[in-house]
Amino acid sequence: MNKAKTDLIQARIREIDAIPTVPAILRPLLHYLEQPEDQIEVPKIVELVSCDGSIAAQCLHMANSPLFGRSRAVDTVRGAVISLGVGRLRDILLSCVLVRMVPKAKWLIDPVVFWQHSLGCALLCRQFARKINYHAPEKAYLAGLLHDLGEVVNSVLLPSEFRSAAEKAFSQSLPIHEAELSAMGFTHCESGEILARHWNLAPDIGSVIRHHHDVQQAKLHPVLVALVNLCDLLCRMRGLGYGYYESREVDFLEEPAWWILTKEYPHLEQFDLARFTFEMDEYTTQIRDLVSSVFPS
Amino acid sequence: MLVDQRESQRQRKNGDLPPDPYLLRIRDLIYKVAGIFQPDGRIAILEERCEERIAELGSGSLKAYYEHLTTSGDRDTELHALLNEITVGETCFFRSQPQLDALCRVALPAIARAKTQTGPREIRLWSAGCSTGEEPYTLTMVLLEEMRKTLPGWELETLATDLNQESLERAKAAVYAEPAVRNVPALFLKKYFQTRSEQFHVTDEVKSKVSLRALNLLDAAGMEEVQEADLIFCCNVLIYFDGAAKRRCLRHFSRILPPYGYLFVGPAESLFGVSEDFRLVHFAGATAYSKPSRTSGSSGLL
Repeated sequence: MNKAKTDLIQARIREIDAIPTVPAILRPLLHYLEQPEDQIEVPKIVELVSCDGSIAAQCLHMANSPLFGRSRAVDTVRGAVISLGVGRLRDILLSCVLVRMVPKAKWLIDPVVFWQHSLGCALLCRQFARKINYHAPEKAYLAGLLHDLGEVVNSVLLPSEFRSAAEKAFSQSLPIHEAELSAMGFTHCESGEILARHWNLAPDIGSVIRHHHDVQQAKLHPVLVALVNLCDLLCRMRGLGYGYYESREVDFLEEPAWWILTKEYPHLEQFDLARFTFEMDEYTTQIRDLVSSVFPS
Repeated sequence: MLVDQRESQRQRKNGDLPPDPYLLRIRDLIYKVAGIFQPDGRIAILEERCEERIAELGSGSLKAYYEHLTTSGDRDTELHALLNEITVGETCFFRSQPQLDALCRVALPAIARAKTQTGPREIRLWSAGCSTGEEPYTLTMVLLEEMRKTLPGWELETLATDLNQESLERAKAAVYAEPAVRNVPALFLKKYFQTRSEQFHVTDEVKSKVSLRALNLLDAAGMEEVQEADLIFCCNVLIYFDGAAKRRCLRHFSRILPPYGYLFVGPAESLFGVSEDFRLVHFAGATAYSKPSRTSGSSGLL
């Protein structure tokens, strides 16, 4: 991306308040989310949820959803935390916060589809991280959730340019980053990186946002970047993409990201990707329901 | 059965309790031996099927049934009986739309590109284990429709084989009742079927493209007679073979498929650990197998 474009995005991020309002809640949340599950301070999370009435309401609504198989009513935030468990609540909470980040009218791509992809990628990253013994599955979850933040930037701050890129992707069944590059001269990876810096996100998350479509260029945390790259691709191949058909064939074993991971985790050569794919299909429907319930129809 | 056992069974079916550990062991056993995966969404169906088998055998519990499947003298026969229960009733037209999308939108154009340079302008398809004909007729009508638009002047030839003569006779008749055509899109129903006395007759145009033949996939001499095919569909057939038989069959498939060809198995079927002759490839919503000799350049569009 040239300097003029970078300056333009940075200026728009500074000017528009639609995006920066949320990090007030997001920053402490991100801090807690990086902790191992057994070290998370439940009262802090309860406090955080309670301080925003509408988020608390959404959490309670979801805690009472049949999706989680609750048999008795939950009517307090504390009850929701205990009932759902910190892990599940964290997923719900972060989704709630992120989906409210941008007013619905500002989106060019369907926000429900976008968050289904992001949440799907997050869950898959954590699952895959556990399968291959990656040391920080929660970090992988967070990286998966935030990897496409640049799409938000492009959708909200550069609507006319992004509209033509999205139309090209949809009509030609192209991956969105290829269409962006062709129509805009840069991708959501570059614009996402600018937002990540603006929000002071951790360098590993920044590296994922910047390089999840060109993993071989990732100098920082290439293993995490590779992990997110593969899970992003698998989501797009299994019905959790951007809501359109990508006409492509993927041999995961030929992906540069797979080579990077195999170098770090040699046992991946024996990994049953077919079974992992079938297992992933299990929670595709659950993710769709979860995200849809966050958005008022 | 004790009341509390029934209650836990009900709760498991409602998703309120995790599945019985022996049911999960049976699922893993089926995947390991047959290569077909029963996702959580189908776990209640698997449990029902197991219960039906348990009732017939009088084994008593899932634990006892698991032991039957792993240690008894007739464990292979019983596993086949269970597999029959699991896959029963799955045959119909347009069974897997994502597979058909992958065929038309990615596999067909890739094969056509390869053949434009080297081969005759024809697409050769083999439905191996075609049962009563729904699969080969579906594939033929879908490819005819697609090729009219994107490959004018190209020919299509479909070979459909099955071991069972009775199934082949029904396939030859090509007359189906309503449940078999429940997934057929209106355009295809209108164009490729004739309705007479509430029965759906596949048109002569489609039938003329399909050669039906008896063939045992484990018969080496018979397999040698099968000529090159660009696409092989062999869905829910290999699951009934043991490891050695699977490998033998896949070696034939490998010989029959050109480097640019594709082998499609059932949507929940896996060849993991069975053969070095094939590699898993992903399309949007579907998987298939290709020969490892090909460099797919998978990050880009084909």
